[in-house]
Amino acid sequence: MTTYILRRLIQTAGLLFFLSILLFALVNLAPGGPLSGQGQSRHIDPDKVELLKRQFGLDKPLPTQYLIWLVGNDWMQVDKDGDGVMDGNGTRLGILRGDFGFSFRTRQPVLTEIGQRLPNTIYLTAITILVAVLVAIPIGIISAIRQYSVFDISVTTFSFAGQAIPEFWLGLILILVFYAWLKNPFTGGPLLPSGGMTSIDISGFDLGDRIVHLILPVLTGALGWIAWYSRFLRSSMLDVIHQDYIRTARAKGLSNWNVLTRHGLRNALIPLVTLLALDLPYLFGGAIFVETLFAWPGMARLYYQAALERDYPVLMAVLIIGAASIILSNLLADLLYAYLDPRIRYE
Amino acid sequence: MNRVPGKPIFLLILIALLALSGCQPKSGTTPALGSSSIVIVIPEDPPSFNPIVTDTGYDALVMELVMLGLSDVDANGNVFPELAAELPTVENGGVVLDEDAGTMAVTWKMREDVQWADGTPVTADDVIFTYESIVDPELGGWIPGIDYIESVEKIDDYSLTVNYASIYTGYLTQFGGEQVVIWPTHYCDASQGFAAWDCARQPLSNGPFVLSEWVNGDHMTFTKNEKFFEEGKPAIDKITVRIIPDTSVRKTMLLNGDADLDMWTTEPMIAELEGQPNVLVSQSPENRWVMRIFFNLAAKGTTDSVATPHPILSDLRVRQAIRAAIDVDTISKEFFLGYAKPAWTEFFREPYVCNIPRPEFDPEKAAALLDEAGWKDTDGDGVRECRGCATAEEGYVMEMDFNTYSEFGEPLELTQQYIAEQLGKLGIKLNLKVVEGSILWAASTDGGIEQSGNFDMDIWDDGYAGVDPTDFLYQYYAVASAEPDFGYNFMRWSNDEFETLLEGVYTLDETQRKQDFCKMAAILEEELPILPLFTAVNADAHSARLQNVQSSANDLVTWNSADWTLK
Repeated sequence: MTTYILRRLIQTAGLLFFLSILLFALVNLAPGGPLSGQGQSRHIDPDKVELLKRQFGLDKPLPTQYLIWLVGNDWMQVDKDGDGVMDGNGTRLGILRGDFGFSFRTRQPVLTEIGQRLPNTIYLTAITILVAVLVAIPIGIISAIRQYSVFDISVTTFSFAGQAIPEFWLGLILILVFYAWLKNPFTGGPLLPSGGMTSIDISGFDLGDRIVHLILPVLTGALGWIAWYSRFLRSSMLDVIHQDYIRTARAKGLSNWNVLTRHGLRNALIPLVTLLALDLPYLFGGAIFVETLFAWPGMARLYYQAALERDYPVLMAVLIIGAASIILSNLLADLLYAYLDPRIRYE
Repeated sequence: MNRVPGKPIFLLILIALLALSGCQPKSGTTPALGSSSIVIVIPEDPPSFNPIVTDTGYDALVMELVMLGLSDVDANGNVFPELAAELPTVENGGVVLDEDAGTMAVTWKMREDVQWADGTPVTADDVIFTYESIVDPELGGWIPGIDYIESVEKIDDYSLTVNYASIYTGYLTQFGGEQVVIWPTHYCDASQGFAAWDCARQPLSNGPFVLSEWVNGDHMTFTKNEKFFEEGKPAIDKITVRIIPDTSVRKTMLLNGDADLDMWTTEPMIAELEGQPNVLVSQSPENRWVMRIFFNLAAKGTTDSVATPHPILSDLRVRQAIRAAIDVDTISKEFFLGYAKPAWTEFFREPYVCNIPRPEFDPEKAAALLDEAGWKDTDGDGVRECRGCATAEEGYVMEMDFNTYSEFGEPLELTQQYIAEQLGKLGIKLNLKVVEGSILWAASTDGGIEQSGNFDMDIWDDGYAGVDPTDFLYQYYAVASAEPDFGYNFMRWSNDEFETLLEGVYTLDETQRKQDFCKMAAILEEELPILPLFTAVNADAHSARLQNVQSSANDLVTWNSADWTLK
């Protein structure tokens, strides 16, 4: 097993390296660039362009830019003021030494930018997925054991609708209903806030305030997940409860509850757990619609803005972190599956 | 076990919601007793407080709350002193011209009663520090006019002289206006450089407000600067700037009273807010952004209009016909909800208003012009071809690309489609493309469509800030600006008389400038390298309780935040 893990990790490193080259090429070769002036002036003055190119390191050929991004430029001479004369070594260390460069937009280190947004995304997405799983599991179980009942059919319809309803529309409707229309009977203000992680005038941690701000974003984001997981668990459960060992357990005289949970659910959950492991990258990537609608300062918004403005360092960092999280979560899913299901073994 | 767990759970959720709503603290609509507080909503986090670096508009918005320049521009285009005691002019001896050498020296006298929030006085040292940081070749930035400055000399603690190597007409806003403010020499770290210093994210204030908190991506909090030099101002104790990316949510917040000011309100939102008793919309007295059609006078894919002229657009009659076939009034009414004003020349803003007669919407005249120019539809397919035209091969089909950018939104896309329809009726076939602004305006080396000449006709909006169009005209119409990545003359247009006039307007003689500008207006009217169509509105929606908000085409709406009051 250890050799298997080691082998996979080495493959991961190789894959990430190859991906980094591919992503770097794609990001840079796509039309448009950070110097096309997204700002209100529609264009950047030509005199400013040379200066910015030098400050962003875009005046070098692409392979050199990639090399500097990877290993830095503190080992080579750079011309810092554009006068043609080398002025000493550069200051960048490269991502292999943990320096992801600085954002073209804010001039802050990329890791700082990500560090400000990532906890918010993990916080929201983890709670969304948790709520989704907690709701989906009972729904999935009941749908399976009461197959084709009214509950099952209505939940099936609901899950198709849930996957089909655009998140964006749903979120706007929720804001309209709970923020614009419904009023809080105690304070007279809106029933739920329109967005944000906390109320502005609260300092410190207020659990009630946090929960109130989570309700709508989690509702919007979780709907699709609930639909997806409950369907999955339903079919997984259906597979399991028709197995021989379930019939044996019932024949042994075990209670229905015991049969369903200890023997049925435990096995039915295995594929769900691995599915969850595969969904882990969403913790890092976030959901663009939810974050935009509910003004949640998260990774998806950061990435979207960086893409629009061609903020290459932020883009590359988010892409590489995203790629790493997907590859590693796949590995985790494989390992979990082997751990939970003794019939699976790797060499 | 046969119970369907529907109703009880639903009831439970409802009860839980009600219970939690009791936990919810009072929202920000009722300010605490004795303090006044407002909320501004914007869609994006400002990258920093330094607009010179990024120029997104949001940076300038927050900068205007905390920092001052030597001067600033009001909504009517008048420059007024901020840190300066008075504006330097030729009359008061502040501006000394050397006509023979073609140089000038501008002496600024500063106010002596302005302090930074930590009590340090704002002095000429800060101005010189700002200048030196901007011109640093490694870590600096760029502002208009900076290349004309030869040196900045300190005279005493509150006066300095800026020596220009040529006549620069924008000297009044050299260290002020929309983008430039004075940075504190004792607080900013010069070694970090103007482009990246930390004081652009943790600014030291000398303006009406002080930054007290910034939660990245979420909100910024500003409190009243007790040391502000204007007595009794600002009237507002606290400003919260909240980042709300979605337009509908911002509008709902305005209507609900949870937001007091929305920036750059668009026409559809203005129309929706009309008639609402608790929301007002401030419009700028004059408009800046002119929606215009750019003609590529060089063949698509090339950048030399002399060697490879455009087979269709290089004929002036074609450009005139296109202009005559576009119904600007309908566009304004239907797609811009009546908020767009026709503009057919660059010179419609004070003080350079030139008397150019408004072109008529006359589709028949347009058709006649095209016939005369040798473009006729002989095969009956609705699209004209070259039949004896002067600029293309016989049989060349009158078909072109028509591009615009996506970020403006639906009104512009509808306008583009409508124009294509009108020109289609005329017999010109247009293939529509909507691209990201980033691709449209990128450098030619980055695949930029306009810089590389890869277009036929474009439509988008631009306009100059402040009162001085000189640099704007140079960037769009000068021959030197036609070289890819050296300017924005992607029409690749040139006119010798215009070039001469352009050189001549770099003078402080206002009478001559006015005359020369109007001569330039006449040339542009004759040759039509660009078709100005209409100006889009510059508006900011605000709650009725927030007073003295004045939208400005020359600056962000916070330019006069010190004067805001609450009813």
